[in-house]
Amino acid sequence: MVKVDTVAAKELTGSGSAGGANRSGATLRRVLVNQQFLLIVVLVAMIAGFSALNENFLSIGTFGNILVQWAPLALLAIGETFVIVSGGIDLSVGSTVTISGVVSAFAMAGLTGAGVPDPVAITIGAVVAAAVGLTVGLVNAALINFAKLVPFVATLATLGAGAGLALVLTKGGPVSGGPPSAIGLANVWLGPFSWPVLIVIVIVVIAGLYLHKSLFGRYTFAIGGNAFAATAAGISVKKHLTKVYALSGLLAGIAGMALYLQLGSGSPSAGAGNELQAIAAVVIGGASLTGGVGRMSGTVLGALILTVVTSGLLVINIDPNWNQVVVAILIAAAVALQALRGVHRRIK
Amino acid sequence: MTETAAPIYEVRNVSKNYGSVVALENVSLQIHAGEVIGLVGDNGAGKSTLVKVLSGAHQPDGGQILLDGIERHWHSPHGALQAGIETLYQDSGLAPNLTVSSNVFLGRELKVPGILGRLGFLSQKKMDTVAHEDLDRVGIGVAASDRTVAELSGGQRQAVAIGRAVSWARKVIILDEPTNHLGARQANEVLDVIRVAKAKGLGVIFISHTLPHVLQVTDRIVVLRLGKIVRDAPTSEFDAEKLLGTITGLIGSAPSA
Repeated sequence: MVKVDTVAAKELTGSGSAGGANRSGATLRRVLVNQQFLLIVVLVAMIAGFSALNENFLSIGTFGNILVQWAPLALLAIGETFVIVSGGIDLSVGSTVTISGVVSAFAMAGLTGAGVPDPVAITIGAVVAAAVGLTVGLVNAALINFAKLVPFVATLATLGAGAGLALVLTKGGPVSGGPPSAIGLANVWLGPFSWPVLIVIVIVVIAGLYLHKSLFGRYTFAIGGNAFAATAAGISVKKHLTKVYALSGLLAGIAGMALYLQLGSGSPSAGAGNELQAIAAVVIGGASLTGGVGRMSGTVLGALILTVVTSGLLVINIDPNWNQVVVAILIAAAVALQALRGVHRRIK
Repeated sequence: MTETAAPIYEVRNVSKNYGSVVALENVSLQIHAGEVIGLVGDNGAGKSTLVKVLSGAHQPDGGQILLDGIERHWHSPHGALQAGIETLYQDSGLAPNLTVSSNVFLGRELKVPGILGRLGFLSQKKMDTVAHEDLDRVGIGVAASDRTVAELSGGQRQAVAIGRAVSWARKVIILDEPTNHLGARQANEVLDVIRVAKAKGLGVIFISHTLPHVLQVTDRIVVLRLGKIVRDAPTSEFDAEKLLGTITGLIGSAPSA
C-alpha cells in the first residue's frame, strides 16, 4: 500500500452520529432484543414449565433422549444456516436425509448379505450416505449456478425428486437386512451423551468457528448481504455457493446415516418434513431469510428449543400434533422480533 | 499533465454491443498516472458500459485494453483488481452486515499465521487495525472499524467504500457517481479523497452527473454521447455552460485526438 501522509485524518460523521446520547438505554434494548439471550430465556422457561407439569422431564435420561432427537436436526440446521446466511434456502435436506439413508441401507444390506463383516459394511454405508448427500448438494448448486434457478425452486425440485426416488427404490417399505450390530452402535453413552451426539457437538463447534471466524464464513455473509459487492470485491460467488450447497447436502447425508443407526433400517419417510424443522431452527435462531444475518449459536439453540417442545409435549401427554402449532408460533415470534430489530439497523 | 508521458491505462477503439444496441463505438481513452479524468454524458451515453469494460466486468466486442502499455484481457473484475484497478460501482455498496474493516478487506482477507491460517481462519484484529490506519491515511476517519456498515450513515458508507478503493488501488481507480445521494459537506470530503488518490499517483476516472464536482476536481473531461467520445479536452477549456452544451449536443464539437 502506498503511503500518503499529507492528509490529516478527519471525522467523517455527517448524519451518522445517531448513537451517543442515550447509550445506556440503547445497550439495555440491545440486550433485550439479543437473540441468544431471548432463546436461552425461552428454553429455560420451557424446561421449567414442562418440569413443573411432569417431574420426570428434568432427568438425565430425558435430557439424553432430547439430545438424540436434536443431533440429526442440528446437522441439517448447520448446513441450512450457511445456506440461509448466503441468501438462499435449501428445501431438499429432508428428502436428502431419506434418499441417502435408503441408498446406504441398500448398500449395507447387500454387503451384509455377501458376508462382509459389520464394521466394514457400516463404514462403507456411512461413506455412501455422505456421498449421496454431497451429490444432491452439488445438483442443487448446478441448478442454481448454471440452470439459473432460484434456490427455492432448485431445491424444491430436488426435494421432490429425492422423496419420489426413495419411494420408487423402496416400494414404500423399510430397507432391512443391514448389519445386525448397527442398531446398538448409536447406543453407547457417555453420561447423557450418546456418541453420535458427541460427534454432532464437535461438528457444531467446528461449523460455528468456520461461520464466524474463517474466510468461508466471511464470504458466506458477504454474498448473503450483497452479492454484487462480493462479486465486485473479486469473490467468485458461484464457486462459493457450490461449496455452501455441497456442505448442506453432505451434512444431510450424514444425518441420513445417523437416522439409519437410530432406526436400524432405511425408511422411505425418514426425513419427511425435516427441511421445515431445519429452516425453523435457523430462523428461530435469528437468521434472516433475506441473507447476511445469522449465528450458529442461535441455530443450535433453535434446534434445541424445537426438540424440547416435541419431547415436552409428549411427556405431559398432550396431542403431539400441537407441536406444529407451537413451532409455528415460535417462528412467527422470531420473525416479528427480526422486524423489530430491523427498525434500528436498516440495510442497504 | 505531461501529454508526452506514457498512459498508465488505455483503451483503443473499443466497441460493445448489447444485441442490436450499440453501447460503445470505437472509443479510445488514455489515463495517466496522477491524472483525474471526468467521464460525463447523458443517460445512455455509454458511461456505465465503459466503466464495466475498464473494470473487467464486461468484455468488449472489439478493441484493445492496455495497462502500462501491455495489452490485457480481463475475464472478470477479479483480474482487473489483481492488476491494481479498483472500481467503485454506482450503488454497489458494501456487505451491510460485515464490519467496516471486514469490508475494507473483503476479497483480500488476512489469515492468522500457521496451520490455523491454512485452515482458513482470519486475523480479525490485524485487519481491524490496518483498515483503520488505511482509512485514516486517505482522510477518512470512521469512529470504530468494528461497527457493521449497516450501522453507518449513507455518507459514511460511501466514504468507507471510496477509502477502501483508494487504499487498495495501485494503478487506476474508477469512481462511478461517488457523490450521488451525498450532502454538500460529504460530497466535498469525497472530492478531497479524489485529490488524495491523485497525489498518490493513481489514475482516477470520475464519473458524475454533478458537473460542478467534475469541473472542480478533474484535469481532463471526456464527454460521451450515444456511445461515442465527442470531446476529450483539458478541464480548463470548459465552463459549466459549455460542458452542459457538449453533453446535450447543443454545442457541436469534433472529437479531439
